[in-house]
Amino acid sequence: MKITMTHGSGGKATSDLIANIFAKHFQNPVLAKMEDSAVVPGAATLAITTDSFVVTPLFFNGGDIGKLAVCGTVNDLAVSGAVPKYLTCGFILEEGAETEDLEKIAVSMAETAEEAGVVIVAGDTKVVEGSGGIYINTSGVGFLADSCCVSAANCAEGDAVLLSGNLGDHHAAILSARMNIANTIQSDCAPLNDMTAALMKSGVRVKAMRDVTRGGLATVLNEFAAASQCCILLNEERIPVSEQVRGFCGILGLDPLYMGNEGKMVAVVAGEDAQKALNCMKNCKYGENAAVIGEVASGEAETVLLNTLIGGIRILTELYGEGLPRIC
Amino acid sequence: MCVAMPGKVLAVNENIAAVDFSGNIVEAQADLVSVEPGDYVLVHAGFILQKLSQEEGDTLAELFREIESYE
Amino acid sequence: MNIMEVCGTHTAEISHCGIPGLLSENIHLISGPGCPVCVTVTDYIDKLTELSLAPGITVVTFGDMLRVMGKNQSLNDVKALGGQVRMVYSPMDTLKFAAADKTKTFVFAAVGFETTTPVYVMLLNEAIKHGITNIKILTSLKTMPAVIDWVCENQGNIDGFLAPGHVSTITGSDIFIPLAEKYQLPFAVAGFGGEQILEALYALVKCRGKAKVMNLYPSVVTAKGNEAAQEMVKKYFVPCDAAWRGIGVIAGSGMILRDEYAAFDAGSAELTADHIHNPKCRCAQVLTGAIKPTQCPLFGTECTPQAQQGACMVSTEGSCYNYFVNKRKA
Repeated sequence: MKITMTHGSGGKATSDLIANIFAKHFQNPVLAKMEDSAVVPGAATLAITTDSFVVTPLFFNGGDIGKLAVCGTVNDLAVSGAVPKYLTCGFILEEGAETEDLEKIAVSMAETAEEAGVVIVAGDTKVVEGSGGIYINTSGVGFLADSCCVSAANCAEGDAVLLSGNLGDHHAAILSARMNIANTIQSDCAPLNDMTAALMKSGVRVKAMRDVTRGGLATVLNEFAAASQCCILLNEERIPVSEQVRGFCGILGLDPLYMGNEGKMVAVVAGEDAQKALNCMKNCKYGENAAVIGEVASGEAETVLLNTLIGGIRILTELYGEGLPRIC
Repeated sequence: MCVAMPGKVLAVNENIAAVDFSGNIVEAQADLVSVEPGDYVLVHAGFILQKLSQEEGDTLAELFREIESYE
Repeated sequence: MNIMEVCGTHTAEISHCGIPGLLSENIHLISGPGCPVCVTVTDYIDKLTELSLAPGITVVTFGDMLRVMGKNQSLNDVKALGGQVRMVYSPMDTLKFAAADKTKTFVFAAVGFETTTPVYVMLLNEAIKHGITNIKILTSLKTMPAVIDWVCENQGNIDGFLAPGHVSTITGSDIFIPLAEKYQLPFAVAGFGGEQILEALYALVKCRGKAKVMNLYPSVVTAKGNEAAQEMVKKYFVPCDAAWRGIGVIAGSGMILRDEYAAFDAGSAELTADHIHNPKCRCAQVLTGAIKPTQCPLFGTECTPQAQQGACMVSTEGSCYNYFVNKRKA
């Protein structure tokens, strides 16, 4: 059934849509109350974040916009050292969108939320003129322990830089669909809160964490280098990229260091804890290809350097330009 | 602009070859180079430029032997 | 020793592998006019934007052309005004578009060097074979030897050339022999891996002062090149005088459709004027290797990838873009 302007009117059509799709799949006691606000137990210190998702196609190898919408926000909370607890989701639907697609997306969001241990407690739906597009905003709240101190500004010389797995999968999966290149690359879209919680509990001194989304690894590490006024040195041969993604990048002249991911994080930890942190990541569901990829070195502040495969040094700046079309 | 990379021909159907780049299959025009499944080819903007030959090793060794003798 | 690489893809690889830092201070790498987007004059872009705004015409192009400025606007700018522009990886996709919508004419922005010209030949060949008449090309096709000759003649500061690997796949490495002999310089045809480039640089250093053409990419390059491709190119195109941004017109340095295929041309002749947007922009000297990007007064200040003043900063294979995003100094 196609979405029409009536679905956005706030009347019966709207409440039916909500009941049949969102409430049905996001079932939880808070949402069931259908009050104007979700009233929930809290914590002394909160992490709050928001993100919007506009990817096309809506469904791609390894995921869909709904899974992305949950993971993206969960991960932003998780890498801040928080335990993600509650999500809201707002939908903007263009006329002509299919309710069948919307339901698939809602199911996917419910499954992902369950895996991540978060509850979707509030939502909104609007309909606008258009040609069938679906856009989602999710906001999230997480609880932080008072002792938690994870920040991009904490990196110091001697710290180790770890990456939780292969670069470029999500970006390549989206582009492959758009450019008709046949392969089995899957988006790596995944919730990382189990991994971050394990790291925080493991006794490793975690200095900074960030998920490696738009702009890629190079952009994220430049953010760390700027916030911490430090120099980060990476080893190209240690950076994990799958064979298929390498081939894909070769065809289109892309660089995995600047490609978006949706289930990867980078962590800067005290140097002596590097091995422990690596073992911890590798023991987590999405960390099988985790690697120690570099260190915080002595050198010019706000600089990220790469030891290339042939032994040269390349300066990695943040991403300039759009990279490529919308991928998250 | 001259971005091109070597891939392996999987199949040829008239003038279109399916070329494999580490698991990425791309269709490329094979009009100017006759290719067979198993050949390695250089593809640029959807077009096969050349077949890779096995020449490399010997020719280069010989060239470097020659230039080592300079100065 | 000054070594010039004429291919934009070589420039990008050199930065990517961190090669400048591995070389002696006495070896200077200079980027030449090997980026087809960078050497395109504003007249060409203006013609494209004009076509994209005309009813019933869609311009089809590679990604990099979208941001290049014509006199007043780029293809990206006119897209926002309703201009019909589509981006592709392979020009052959134009055939699919044309077959799917016979009410429109699809014009491909045909820029490139000898590596890409055969692709346009195949596009036209297939169009003729399948009776597709709603395709045209607007050409800004360039060839290497004439511009290398110009650099040697007008600048005379280059001691060796890292010759383009993929251009040579089509043309054959022998095309550099007359240049090597005229100017008594070494040419090394190289592939695109870091090690291959280093080997070529080493060979050039060893052969300085000698008229020598070396093929260091024998897996795909032969002395004569892809002769079938060359024949097909001759069938459709003839050499012509071409306008190079920053240089002006170089005789015989371009290719244009033969008269008998004029129906496929979207108005390529006489596109020679080049508008300079910023009088302080020194793209002209950067393109020919007279100065390094870092020596342009606008580099990194007024001219950045987000606020491009000249073509060298627009294209991802442009020298200025490359130097900027890799923070290269050498």
